[in-house]
Amino acid sequence: MLIIDALLQGILMGLLFALVALGLTIIFGVMDIVNFAHGEFLMLGMYTVYWTSLILNIDPLLALPASAVMGILLGLASYYWFIRYLLRGPAIAQLFGTFGLMLFLQYLAMFLFKTDYRMVEKGLLVGKSLSIGPFIFDWTKLAAGILSLISFIVVFYFIHRTRTGKALQATALNKEAASYMGIKTDRMNAIAWAIGGGTVGIAGGLLVNFYYAFPMVGILFVMVAFACVALGGFGSIKGVFFAGLLIGILEMVFPVFGQLMGSDFLGPHFKFTIVYLAYFIIVVVRPQGLFGWKH
Amino acid sequence: MEALKDAFDFSDFSKSEQIGLIIFSLFLIAFPILGAGSFTKTVMIQFLLFSLFGMGWNTIGGYGGQVELGKAQYVGIGAYTVALMMVWWKIPFWVSMPIGVLIALGYSFIIGYPLFRLKGHYFAIATICTSLVLKDIFDNWDLVGAAKGIELPIHEHPDFLYMQFKSDTYYYYFIMVLFYIGLFYMNWFRKSKLGYQLRMIKDDEDAAESLGIDIRWCKIKAYSIASAFVAVGGGFMAVYNLYIDPASVMELSLSIKIALMAMLGGAASLWGPIIGAAFLVPLDRFLGSWLGGHKGLIGVDFMIYAALIMVVSAYQPRGIWGIIEQFRKRGA
Repeated sequence: MLIIDALLQGILMGLLFALVALGLTIIFGVMDIVNFAHGEFLMLGMYTVYWTSLILNIDPLLALPASAVMGILLGLASYYWFIRYLLRGPAIAQLFGTFGLMLFLQYLAMFLFKTDYRMVEKGLLVGKSLSIGPFIFDWTKLAAGILSLISFIVVFYFIHRTRTGKALQATALNKEAASYMGIKTDRMNAIAWAIGGGTVGIAGGLLVNFYYAFPMVGILFVMVAFACVALGGFGSIKGVFFAGLLIGILEMVFPVFGQLMGSDFLGPHFKFTIVYLAYFIIVVVRPQGLFGWKH
Repeated sequence: MEALKDAFDFSDFSKSEQIGLIIFSLFLIAFPILGAGSFTKTVMIQFLLFSLFGMGWNTIGGYGGQVELGKAQYVGIGAYTVALMMVWWKIPFWVSMPIGVLIALGYSFIIGYPLFRLKGHYFAIATICTSLVLKDIFDNWDLVGAAKGIELPIHEHPDFLYMQFKSDTYYYYFIMVLFYIGLFYMNWFRKSKLGYQLRMIKDDEDAAESLGIDIRWCKIKAYSIASAFVAVGGGFMAVYNLYIDPASVMELSLSIKIALMAMLGGAASLWGPIIGAAFLVPLDRFLGSWLGGHKGLIGVDFMIYAALIMVVSAYQPRGIWGIIEQFRKRGA
């Protein structure tokens, strides 16, 4: 029973992880850049919802569009003001560049909001739970899972059904060929960053309903997102969805196994260790991931 | 013998670089006599330590061109070996430090073997992962003090065997000697067969492979050398700070700092890591102590630090040394 409960909770978390990793995998697919600052976009999304709901005194769920807009603007700003200049340099400079952006945003948040742990405390769903049979779900987590799924489907539809989405895919497959067909690479890159920022902004807005926001929260989630992206295959959108679910389940189920066996080693302290190990094993054993096509 | 000659031979550098090295060395030797305060002395020790780390990273990261972001785990291995052996069995530093280096070497071969199946971004993230796994284990392992860390027993009298001194000057000279051993080693390394092989791999892996270079084995060797360097530094950190915990010797930010200093100074050059450390360590320390005093300004020091990283990686990925060389070429 404990296992099934953990499984269900894991699926809810997994849907959110998938949304966090979605932007990362799109950016990687379109322009071959690993965005270390992705977790900080999430962190700023959390703060946006926190402050909007507090200052305007509205429900945190209604503040979600604010975090989406913030994410899109942040993505565009980082691309046009910074990432574009990194593209000229070697891969190592790109890694350090996004790493610098990550540090900058972390300490900007620390400067602006201090190191306090903040969480949305009142709202329509906060503190309420739904019980179905023997299982109890927090409404906030349920909403996060469902809304993540909806956002994910919207983006998936956008990528696969619209002209812009197809242009994005073309750029990801072959940048040069796409530009010969009249697709503007620069604009595609910007769109990838906008989608990346927007989705992770929403994810942050959902997360703050049940998880504390603090300036260093990003690194935990960016490592999870890296694991999802690697497991799904770098650049694969379908892959990242299933990988997110799998990692969410792993992260919830392992501690329960540990609890059942009475061992400390699989305890909750290690739930992120499992994720790191999973990443390492996946990329070594199967570098192309579950559905990967790019390497 | 040939190797020793190579290590002390700086003749392929320009005159100005040789003179610079001599002046710099004289300054290092004379520094404690100049009557600097204890804060400046700490900064200098940190500078030498991070130069040593950076030189180690430069083998795999600079000459080999692999983005390695997990060096902190080897700092941790070096530091914990020295600290634990001293606390448990009272083993002197001079025995435990080499053992720490050996453990780091062994561990780096075990990790390096699967790690170097990977390339590019995959590799970079995987190095972070391995380092974080080790940190998580040490954070929760009660036997080694878990997150509380371990304190080294403080001896009443200065003790050379256990590297315990009252004055920082001794530590300063000790790390300076290590620094020079590292420098001479790197001077040999850049002219060694492995050094050339690595540069070839960095330029074009396929071409290197077609010339019969065992790419993976070369990378693993360079990775192990880098690990040995930082493990020595880690051992020094344990006896110098007399207290270690996973947050101070295994943190991701330490890995990043090591790589960053080498990169900022100029990767794949002998002076790069030294210049990088000479620039970033004082900046880090002085910004920290200057801005840290003002209550409202938490984080501003790191924001400046981060902005610097962003600017350098966007405009001159070859680092400060790259800028200097650019000017020299224009002048010539």
